[in-house]
Amino acid sequence: MKHVIIGAGAAGISAARTLRKQSAVDEIVMIATDRLAYSRCMLHKYIGGERDEKGISFVEEDFFESNRIRFCSDRTVTKIDTSNHQVCFADGVESYDKLLIATGAESFFPPIPGLKGAKNVFGLRDLVDARAIKSQGSKAKHVVVIGAGLVGLDVAYGLLEMGKKPTVVEMADTILSSNLDASAALTYQMKFEEAGCMFKLGCKVEGVLSDASGQVSAITLGDGSQLNCDLLVVASGVRPSIGWLADSGIVCERGVVVDNYLATNIANVYAAGDVTGLSESWPNAVEQGEVAAQNMLGMPNEYTDTFSLKNTIHFFGIPSLSVGRLNGKEGDVEESREDRKRYQKVILRDGIPVGVILQGDISRSGFWQQLIKNKVDVSGRSKDIWKVSFADSYGIEDNGEYKWLFD
Amino acid sequence: MRRIIIDADKCKGCKNCSMACIKAHKSSDATLAFADPQFESRNTILLNGEKKYKPLFCRHCDKPACATACMSGAMIKDPKTGHVIYDRDKCATCFMCVMSCPFGVLKPDRMTNTYVVKCDFCAEHGSEPSCVKLCPTKAITAKEVK
Repeated sequence: MKHVIIGAGAAGISAARTLRKQSAVDEIVMIATDRLAYSRCMLHKYIGGERDEKGISFVEEDFFESNRIRFCSDRTVTKIDTSNHQVCFADGVESYDKLLIATGAESFFPPIPGLKGAKNVFGLRDLVDARAIKSQGSKAKHVVVIGAGLVGLDVAYGLLEMGKKPTVVEMADTILSSNLDASAALTYQMKFEEAGCMFKLGCKVEGVLSDASGQVSAITLGDGSQLNCDLLVVASGVRPSIGWLADSGIVCERGVVVDNYLATNIANVYAAGDVTGLSESWPNAVEQGEVAAQNMLGMPNEYTDTFSLKNTIHFFGIPSLSVGRLNGKEGDVEESREDRKRYQKVILRDGIPVGVILQGDISRSGFWQQLIKNKVDVSGRSKDIWKVSFADSYGIEDNGEYKWLFD
Repeated sequence: MRRIIIDADKCKGCKNCSMACIKAHKSSDATLAFADPQFESRNTILLNGEKKYKPLFCRHCDKPACATACMSGAMIKDPKTGHVIYDRDKCATCFMCVMSCPFGVLKPDRMTNTYVVKCDFCAEHGSEPSCVKLCPTKAITAKEVK
C-alpha cells in the first residue's frame, strides 16, 4: 500500500507517524512546499531571533529516515487527478493508493482597497513569510500589523525582539478579543506598550497606499488618519488551503468536506487538520491526522472530539489559558478573583462551567477543559469554585491510568 | 511499561511523596521547605469534597494528551520505556500541555514560567520513582502494566 500525504504540518506529521507505527511495510510519501517540517506556532521565535530554522522543527532530526518516509520537499502540488490516483506537480506526478490532504490553512487578506498587489506586504503563516518579515523588518522604519489576534501579536512580539516598534491596528476594542476577556487582554496590551508596541484599537483600515515602485508607503484608517508604513503584516485570520482543489471533484465548503472518518467524497482520499476547517487548534490537527491514518489503513476510527474553543497564550512571562466562553451571557454566573499576579474567571450556567480564563497562574488547570467539554455540573461540589478539581471525579482504570467519573 | 499505581484509600496525605519529588529534582543544596517557591513537586495530593485524599501523579498515559498538544516536539512518549518525557530545551513554553492534561497534573514552573514541571519517573535515579520509595503506606507503588 502506498500512502501519500500532502503537507508536513501537525496533521500530516501525526498521520505519517501513525501510519508507520501501524504498518512496517507500507510506503509513505510526504510532500511539502518547504524543506522543513516546522511548527508555525514558533515562527515568531524565528523572527525575533530566539530560534533558527532548525530550532522551530517539531520532529526528531532523523524523523523521515528513521520512519522510512520519502520526503518530497520544496514541491507544490498543482492538482489531484483522482481518476488516475495521482497528485500532479508542474513537472511530474506521484501516484497513490491512499491520499491525505493536510495542506493546512493560508493567511486571509481582507478586501482592503490598495492591498492587493502592494509590495512588502506579508501574512505570517509559513516559514517563507517569517523569512520575509525578518529580512524586510531589519530595514523597515514603519512596521504596521493589521490584526491583534494571536498571530498579529506573535508578529509584533517577534518585531519587538528585533528592536522594532510596530503599530498594531485592530478593528475590535481590545486585543486578543477571540481569546481573552477585556481585563486579561489589557494586561498584555500594557506589556506590549511598555515594550514599545503601539495599538490602534477600534480602528478600521480603509486603504493601503503604495509609492511609484509599488512598495507599500502608508495605510489610511477609518478615522481619516494615515500611518506611514514600509512593511505591512496582515494577520486577519486564516482560511483552509483549498484553492488548488477547485477542479479535483473533491467537495469543499469552507474547507475540504469530510465525514466522521475524515474521508472526502472521493474514495481513498482523506483530509485532516486546518484544511478541513473543523478547527484551528494544534491538538485537534494532530488527533485528526492520527484518525485519518487509521482509516487509511482500514482500521475504522471516528473523529469525535471536535471541541476547539481552547487556547493558551504566553507573552512577557505571563501565561494565560482560556477554554469555552470568554464573557458571560444573560443568565450566566461569573466568578472571578485577582491579585497582583493573577486574574481568574469562571463562567457558570446552571451550575455547569461554560468558560474559564486563567492568567498569571495556570498551574494544574487542565481539568477545566474536561469540566467544560463534558458539561459537568459542579454545583453539588465545593461551594468554593476555586476548589473544584479532578478529585471529585477521581477514577482509576485497571492499568493504573486515571479516568473521569461523571455523576 | 512501568507506572506508579495509586491506591487512594491508603493515602494519609502526609506529602512524603511531594517532599521526595522536590528532593529528587532540586539542583541546589538549599534546605528543603514547602513554602520556598523554588521547590516544586511534580505530584500533589488533592482533597475531594468529602475530604478524602486523592493523589495526583502523572500517569504517563497510553495516549498522552500533553504530547498530542505539544507543538515543539518537547513532550513525547518514549516508545521504549512508555514514559512521557519532556525536553526543556525544545520546549517553546506555549503551555498547551498544561491546558490539555485532562487531570490537571502539569504546571509551568512557579518562579519563571519558563518550563513545565513534569514527572520524569526519576530517570536520573535509575527510573525508581523517589516518591514511591518514601510513601509510608504503600498508597503508591511502581508496577509493570500493559
